[in-house]
Amino acid sequence: LSAETLNIQTSFNAGDFSTQYITENWLPKIEEMTEGRISIVLTPNGSVVPAKETPEAVAAGLLDGDFTSVNYFAGLEPAYAIMGDLISGYDTPEQMLGFCKDGGGEAMMQKAADAVTGGEVKVVACGPYSREALAARTPIRTFEDLAGKKIRSPEGLAAAVFSAAGASPVSIPFSEVFGALEKGIVDAADASAYVNNDATGLQDVAPFPLYPGIHSMPSMQFTVSTAKWESLSAEDQTALRDWWYDAMYAMAAEVAKQDAELAARDDAGDKVEVINWAQEDRDQLRVVARQEWENYATKSELAKEALDAHIAYMTQIGLFK
Amino acid sequence: MGIEIITLLIVISLLALMAIGLPLGITTLTVSLATAVLYFGERAGFFVVAANVGEVLHKYELIAVPFFVFMANVLERSGIAKSMFDSMAIMGGRFRGSVGVQTTFVAVLLAAMSGIMGGEIVMLGLIALPQMMRLGYDRKLAIGIICAAGALATLIPPSVVLIIYGLAAQVSITKLFAASAVPGLILATLYVIYILVRVRLRPEMAPVYDVPETGLPFFQRLKYLKGIILPGILIGAVLGVIYSGVATVTEAAAIGAVGAVIVAGVRKELTWVMCRDAMRQTVLTVGSIIWLVIGAVSLIGIYNRIGGGDFLRGVLTSLDIGPIWVIVVMMLIVMVLGTFLEWIAIIFITVPIFAPVVVDLGFDPVWFGVLFAMNIQMYYLSPPFGPACFFLKSVAPKEVTLQEIFVAVLPFIALQAVGLFLVLAFPQLALWLPAMLD
Amino acid sequence: MKRLFALYADAMDNISVFVGQACSVLFFACIAISALEVVLRYGFDAPTLWSTELAMTLCASAWVLSVGYVTQRHRHISITMLELLVGPKVWHIFRLLQMVIATGAVIVLSMALYHPATKVLARTEYSGTALNSMAPTYLKVLLLVGTVFYILQLLANIIRWVQGTEGDVSGGH
Ligand code: NA
Ligand code: NA
Repeated sequence: LSAETLNIQTSFNAGDFSTQYITENWLPKIEEMTEGRISIVLTPNGSVVPAKETPEAVAAGLLDGDFTSVNYFAGLEPAYAIMGDLISGYDTPEQMLGFCKDGGGEAMMQKAADAVTGGEVKVVACGPYSREALAARTPIRTFEDLAGKKIRSPEGLAAAVFSAAGASPVSIPFSEVFGALEKGIVDAADASAYVNNDATGLQDVAPFPLYPGIHSMPSMQFTVSTAKWESLSAEDQTALRDWWYDAMYAMAAEVAKQDAELAARDDAGDKVEVINWAQEDRDQLRVVARQEWENYATKSELAKEALDAHIAYMTQIGLFK
Repeated sequence: MGIEIITLLIVISLLALMAIGLPLGITTLTVSLATAVLYFGERAGFFVVAANVGEVLHKYELIAVPFFVFMANVLERSGIAKSMFDSMAIMGGRFRGSVGVQTTFVAVLLAAMSGIMGGEIVMLGLIALPQMMRLGYDRKLAIGIICAAGALATLIPPSVVLIIYGLAAQVSITKLFAASAVPGLILATLYVIYILVRVRLRPEMAPVYDVPETGLPFFQRLKYLKGIILPGILIGAVLGVIYSGVATVTEAAAIGAVGAVIVAGVRKELTWVMCRDAMRQTVLTVGSIIWLVIGAVSLIGIYNRIGGGDFLRGVLTSLDIGPIWVIVVMMLIVMVLGTFLEWIAIIFITVPIFAPVVVDLGFDPVWFGVLFAMNIQMYYLSPPFGPACFFLKSVAPKEVTLQEIFVAVLPFIALQAVGLFLVLAFPQLALWLPAMLD
Repeated sequence: MKRLFALYADAMDNISVFVGQACSVLFFACIAISALEVVLRYGFDAPTLWSTELAMTLCASAWVLSVGYVTQRHRHISITMLELLVGPKVWHIFRLLQMVIATGAVIVLSMALYHPATKVLARTEYSGTALNSMAPTYLKVLLLVGTVFYILQLLANIIRWVQGTEGDVSGGH
């Protein structure tokens, strides 16, 4: 049996905690699990093609697969926005991983992939690993405090939810976020997980981070080209899927732990005040958000189907009554 | 075929096509398309080029370039630039080389309002180059000052190179900005010393402005400051807009463009024809620059996909030399990649490989970030693929050839190497300011 | 036949210059929009969701559509060092070679851009941002149109080379 090396582009930046974590801890594991039959080379964000072009790159055979934040595809098909980041929806990454793995999330993602490519892309797995902290330079302690705040949120669904909650979404590009927070052009910005914001020094310029976050929990997809997928044995296919979910659950736990440690450390100092919203404020935002999900889901039939699947699962696990 | 052979073939074909005079954007594009199709076949090969070329039209940082070019065109055509340099020359009195030194000073101010190199270089090229030539400055000296001082935009904050490095290496951008300020000023100082020494040795390179006013006592020359007042207010306003948090760096460039039109209006030099011609010139300049960028990005994905990163990692891990020499090898790799890749591509390929190694060797990644930015700056100036020189060429008078620009920047590249060596040998030059902020 | 080619070259020059100069308007608009966003956000606390994307799209249009104008004016940047070594006669031949290689490369580029352009025409791609404009679809098609402009103007330049009616060619090709 010949060994297969899969060239996978991820949307993680090269120096991200997640890149190092997966590369060091999990890439060796897939070789163990398949007794050397499969190995994976992970290349960072934009290294071969821009992140939003990965489905087509996989279809064309340029990449063997991708490991991309689903939100990048929101413009290709509205369902990707609903599947990629259901703003203010789930409480923990594990809940949404459950939706992907056991609640019909994968099947939904496959439908979306088929809609934008010609069936040449196999969705192996999907789900998030972190809840993003909201970087803020002024205190936003309650739901009411959102009113009038300028919040950088270029993505459609996030902007709609913030807007419905009384804030003013600003759509400045990512390369300007740091300066915009530093100089006060915006009051808050959606950036990344607490651990990543800590590394880039975002807390220096935005000392009132909202943690745990209130809005975003970006979901990733793991795909392999259909041709490559079909050349694998059933056993290896199962191994690949199990490997990915094991890695994501482990990374979710690790990021949560690191986020909590860093937030506790910062909160104990006097430079940074970590703000944790009360449950009633979170619930208030979720009610506002649900209306915006439903508005968004009218954009396509697939988006409606995706939202229905979400709501069914959320109801099943008790997030909605 | 091994990646080292492919790398070599890519460089050789680029040099050959450049040599026969093929436009530089088309040169990189031709090599990219050929490599992509040969390596990945038609479908995947076409796609990797199309996807990366298409992404250029989404690069928001680039929209500051037309703003700067238009601003500079208005300043130049309206005569604002001329009176500014007249004032500068008179204020400098009989002191030889004063305008060169003043231009370096202006460049440092402009660097603090621009995050990208291209914008500042075209601006200085339009405003300062014709004026320095008019004042009788040696053309090569003037070109060198403009390219080198204009490239400071990337070292003096704000800097897009440092922001991208910070994101790729997960290093504090605040600290990077603080760390790069002193090395930026060191470079500017080196340029000033060089200019003063050079014109002392060869006085004909920088003639004293031969009007009676320059002979007046200093306090009587003060009234000639008036030519600097309006452009000074303009620069001050743009800096103020950025540092008070009114606008982002890109938006501030647009405000500067509007401001230049207002200044021309105040001086009663604003006409429709002037504005129209300034904008037509902007279209031509930016139109030629964009094809350089399109060509340069088309190689990124290909080189990464065929294993350029692994190749470099292999080179680094096979070394058996002292830690500081590993840093030197990294700097050399950046220089070599600089001959055929765009700086964003270089950052994305090398930073993920270098950053962990730097930390393992016990160095500070902030310090390395500053070295990296200084290195990118050298690549930016150096032939054969020196974008700074291309940008200047796009706005320089026709008789200025690219080869003349390349020759002119050589002494300044040497000065940058001196600056790089200083920061390499004395990391505290970069690190004391961020340490103070902690 | 010769006259027909000359007519084509003249017509193409005029079209390229007209389109290129019209791009000025796009840059004016781009500057105005970016400055307006600052006024709206800072002055009136009313940031817009459309200014970034619109400014980007206008600028991108000008970059791409000005290619004919840039080519007609020989403003592409190139190294002309060899001209001194080989002399003007050989260099004249080189100039044809440059234009032929460029035409070939841009034709291949247009082939590469053809599939993405037809794909977004069949299934519209949106930006996925708050504005969710059709900018990605527009830009992919625009890029293809730009390469066609480039090729057509290169052909006009080649005709002028053959007929010896080139103007000032001290710049790039
Ligand atoms: Na700068
Ligand atoms: Na170079």
